[in-house]
Amino acid sequence: MSRLEELKTRIKEALPGLECVIGWQKGYDALHNTPLFMRSAEDVDKLEWGALNVHNPAVYLPTMAGKKVGVVVKGCDSRSVVELLQENLINRDNIVIFAAGCDGVVDLTKVKAKLAAAGTGAGVVTAVSADGKTVSVTAGGKTVAMPMAEVAADKCLRCQYPNAVLADTFVGTPAPQPTPVPSANADLDALDAMSVPDRMAFWRYHMDRCIRCYACRNACPMCVCRDHCIAQSREPHWLSQDDSVTEKLMFQVVHAMHLAGRCTECGECQRACPMDIPVLALKKHLNRTIHDLFDYQAGVDAAAIPPLLQFKTEEVNIKERSW
Amino acid sequence: MRIGVFVCHCGSNIEGTVDTAAVAKATLEFPEVVYATDTMYACSEPGQDGIIQAIKEKNLTGVVVASCTPRMHEPTFRKAVERAGLNRFMFEMANIREHVSWIGKNREANTNKSLDLVRIAVEKLRRDAPLIPSKFSVNKRVMIIGGGVAGIQAALDCADGGLQVVLVERESTIGGKMAKLDKTFPTVDCSSCILGPKMVDVAQHPNITLHAYSEVDSIGGYVGNFQVKVKKKATYVDWELCTGCGACIEKCPSKKNPDAFNEKIGPCTSINIPFPQAIPKKAYIDATTCRQFVKGKCGVCAKVCPTGAIRYDMTDEIVTEDVGAIVAATGYDLFDIKKIPEYGSGTYPDVITGLQYERLLSASGPTGGHIKRPSDGKEPKNIVFIQCVGSRDKSLDRPYCSGFCCMYTAKQTILTKDHIPDSQSYVFYMDIRSPGKMYDEFTRRAMEEYGARYIRGRVAMVYPKGDKLMVRGADTLAGTQVEIEADLVVLAAGAEAAKGAPQLAEKLRISYDKYGFFMESHPKLKPVETNTAGVYLAGSCQGPKDIPQSVGQGSAAAAKVLALFSKDMLESDPQISRVDIKRCVGCGKCIMTCPFKAIKEVEFRGQKKAEVIETVCQGCGICTSTCPQGAIQLSHFTDNQILAEVNALCQS
Repeated sequence: MSRLEELKTRIKEALPGLECVIGWQKGYDALHNTPLFMRSAEDVDKLEWGALNVHNPAVYLPTMAGKKVGVVVKGCDSRSVVELLQENLINRDNIVIFAAGCDGVVDLTKVKAKLAAAGTGAGVVTAVSADGKTVSVTAGGKTVAMPMAEVAADKCLRCQYPNAVLADTFVGTPAPQPTPVPSANADLDALDAMSVPDRMAFWRYHMDRCIRCYACRNACPMCVCRDHCIAQSREPHWLSQDDSVTEKLMFQVVHAMHLAGRCTECGECQRACPMDIPVLALKKHLNRTIHDLFDYQAGVDAAAIPPLLQFKTEEVNIKERSW
Repeated sequence: MRIGVFVCHCGSNIEGTVDTAAVAKATLEFPEVVYATDTMYACSEPGQDGIIQAIKEKNLTGVVVASCTPRMHEPTFRKAVERAGLNRFMFEMANIREHVSWIGKNREANTNKSLDLVRIAVEKLRRDAPLIPSKFSVNKRVMIIGGGVAGIQAALDCADGGLQVVLVERESTIGGKMAKLDKTFPTVDCSSCILGPKMVDVAQHPNITLHAYSEVDSIGGYVGNFQVKVKKKATYVDWELCTGCGACIEKCPSKKNPDAFNEKIGPCTSINIPFPQAIPKKAYIDATTCRQFVKGKCGVCAKVCPTGAIRYDMTDEIVTEDVGAIVAATGYDLFDIKKIPEYGSGTYPDVITGLQYERLLSASGPTGGHIKRPSDGKEPKNIVFIQCVGSRDKSLDRPYCSGFCCMYTAKQTILTKDHIPDSQSYVFYMDIRSPGKMYDEFTRRAMEEYGARYIRGRVAMVYPKGDKLMVRGADTLAGTQVEIEADLVVLAAGAEAAKGAPQLAEKLRISYDKYGFFMESHPKLKPVETNTAGVYLAGSCQGPKDIPQSVGQGSAAAAKVLALFSKDMLESDPQISRVDIKRCVGCGKCIMTCPFKAIKEVEFRGQKKAEVIETVCQGCGICTSTCPQGAIQLSHFTDNQILAEVNALCQS
């Protein structure tokens, strides 16, 4: 039985005890999968598994607090679930986690670039097939074969957890550990190499393009303030509605600061950005600092207390006092 | 809002480098500032009256005073605006003395910076809201931590004042360092004769509960209502039954353990009572040397104990004491003389500390009060004292003067002559520090009547020659090198913060300096207060002190506690965090980060919310910087106020 068929069987078994199970289904064309909320056996038959399941379904869990729900996760999604558990934002008793080994997902921006390069940019994608090594996309009557390594999301290139770190039901054989790709952190490496004025200019350029749609925030599974986000608050009034680079950068910096040591680098902020602004780099930079200071990685151990969510008189790695 | 700005000259302290009149004039341009003036001394009576008059005449609703640090006079001015009918929190202070006039000489730059600081204060004041303190009751029990002479004095004074006192002592007996001394300067009266009665008073006082052989485990709560967990360490002896008869000590087969009370120059048994006047006079077992624990068999003490008090299965016990105030009187420890290898400590047994010498002089010491040197038990004739060992020495990170060593060294030379009339004492010193009643006369007596030879200079090295020690040093007055053949070398080891002092300070939430001594609230005007309400200091934990100073501080701390407890209700500081429950998503991050456990989870209309416990919150603001959506705000320091201050600074 394939991973997908086994997932469907196991979800159908569990569904009677659950409000719903969150997964993915085919979207408006063959390339775009969308989230799926399974409430009946017919819904479960719509479930998809594979390289097009780009969304992180964990984002919906805090909004369903108090209800018993299931969620289908890739390895990266499972870290978001764990981080939500670590922060008591969801209750373990109310969550049933279904998982299977993940062979990576595509970056739709990269796929669209390939299609454009092949001269079939516009139009509806009619078919997509993937065999793990190659993704073949049919659009405008033309099929373009793309090596997976060239269209995979950046996060998949540096994936440490292809299999869920926490699951109630894990189907099929675990996916093999991907070999780290040297270019996986190209975004941070490029920023590190820049001079400070160049880096500021880089962010000014990108922030100038920001349309303040807050898709980055809405897609983030760790952004749980929702209606009370400081981006739109007057009390406290951290940001004005002024359409300036300063205000936009301020929001991104605040967002990144709020995610320091919490972000699991699922990349949803950057994937959701309609302007393709590399906002994940800000969070990765802070996570690197947290890792160096506290030797900590978010969303790996449900029992761990995140370093910035505790008070210690003396940190293990920060010697303020000589004892 | 109608704001008045008062720019203080502080005599010439500020006016000397700041054009205060120009600052006052320029502030009139700031939003909502309707009155501004410079004033000679804002804190003086005419200065305060000027503020009160202006509030009434100009109908001011908020006041900014630009003067010194708020630590100095914020309470003064808050009371002044309150006398004029304003809420005391409708007041802000700009520090243009410590932050401006005292640190720069350029009058124009200083004037501009002062104006910026006033601009910031005005922007903050515009967003201030009146705050009302609430009242809470006081638990009129006091805990004294440390049973040395300072702690004993504080405990007795508090108990005589009618308070219930809990005295916590780390060792098995109270008495501290003073109990180890033979005689005390400058009167040369017997230390245990004057301390002993006070120790007995502690034991007999109906208001004092003594936890000996105990340590403070954790401290929660706040002024008026502290909860202190005290760890009563296992003594392996039931002190309810122990009569202090000493039968166990006589029979204990493990007799050759270094005696901590005798500063490790004499042996003691594994089950022991440190000295005859010990309070409580109860035995305890050192499990690290006791054969029953080390070898698993012995049990002699259990067999001989006439009351059957021995309990080998005893474990540490935690007791919780609720108190309203705490006095820290944890004393000091000695500098480790092994850190100066050229003086030979650790290598030559006849190089000892001054406190070890006290034990040799004491009748209750290991030699029964006869001076015998540790190596061969011979009576020394030539004794060299070296002062400032681990004091006034930057290279050892001990730049401070330990204060009492000059005096006790002089005392020891006098006692040496009394014990051994044909002996000769030599003292290597840097300076003689003997300010105090009868102190300088005392050091003169040591030199002139008792013939101690004082040599001004440092010692370079101590090396052995036969059964003697050669002390080589400089005589800087004669400009020569000197070498003295000594039978015994006594090092005046400096005072250090007690072991574990910084850790206790963290538990007490008080500041400490880089050496571990606790910080007083003001070095001159608040010497026994700390910056944590309800926590006071007595004795050497604050810095090296001799006995009269320690006793004085013990009494002073007791007076502070009695004054605090003279009120039945205390006012809480309203500058605390408050939760906007509309914004709170109940994630509990504030609860996880609060160092004071001042935030609890509550259920509000079926939803989880955070709630601040008003009296526990210390207003540190960690929760406000943790809460992502800004739902928890520190009153008087809200996000909006801080943002407005930053804006004022960046846009000026």
